[in-house]
Amino acid sequence: MTEKASTITLATCTSCGKPVPPGAEATKFQCPNCGEIIIRRCTKCRKFGRPYKCPKCGFVGP
Amino acid sequence: MADEGENKEKFDEEAGVSVEEELLLPRDTLLSAGIHIGTRMKTRDMEQFIYRVRPDGLFVLDVKKTDERIRVAAKFLARFEPSRIAAAAARLYAHEPVKKFCEAIGATPIIGRFIPGLLSNPLYPNRIEPNVLIVSDPRADAQAVKEASSIGIPVIALCSTDNDFAGVDLVIPTNNKGRRALAIIYWLLARQTLRERGELPQDKEMPLTIEDFEAKISKEEEEG
Repeated sequence: MTEKASTITLATCTSCGKPVPPGAEATKFQCPNCGEIIIRRCTKCRKFGRPYKCPKCGFVGP
Repeated sequence: MADEGENKEKFDEEAGVSVEEELLLPRDTLLSAGIHIGTRMKTRDMEQFIYRVRPDGLFVLDVKKTDERIRVAAKFLARFEPSRIAAAAARLYAHEPVKKFCEAIGATPIIGRFIPGLLSNPLYPNRIEPNVLIVSDPRADAQAVKEASSIGIPVIALCSTDNDFAGVDLVIPTNNKGRRALAIIYWLLARQTLRERGELPQDKEMPLTIEDFEAKISKEEEEG
């Protein structure tokens, strides 16, 4: 009777690198420039207008 | 060193663009519409898009960066289903450009007062569910930005030198107060979006002109 420990991997915010909790007022969208990478922004980063950078094309937003 | 000197000569002081670089519209058209004119206020967020300060205290935006951002925004919009794009315009001069923009690309216009709950209240019968929102001024359309944030959709905003980035995911730096400037920006955005979708060939123009996008001033207002 061994119980398997289940873990949830949370997506991380592209700007701050912190995990984005489910249900938060976060957003995700494809990189506006290349469209290949999913950009995730947590509530705080959106609120404070923190910059995000696409790891593939180097586009810096907002 | 001589080359550097020549390059400097080709650099336009007012707009911050090299003459040789190709913009979406001729530089003179953009400058005559005043898309580079900001305000006497600047925010730290918008500092990166400011080219210089005029002697009268007005901050001037970099036209090249505006051009780049229009291209990026068009690429971004082209990835969404047309009916899932919403454009909000609380500002009077943005009403007509937004109406025409939505007509051209098939988006949903939100003109005038933004009814609270339009995006976020599931009990509101006329609720719309877009996947992306475009706002003409994040300060004037604050309610739209707030609701877009709460439902988690990306926001594209036309920002002048006095706007901040709160709740905005993609900024188009431009004059968001001028009648002609708003018409040109929305016209360019519509044309570029259609080109990115492949609905309009790269060398063809839209049937709608910039004048169609411009807010009309009634005779009474003109006389008054």
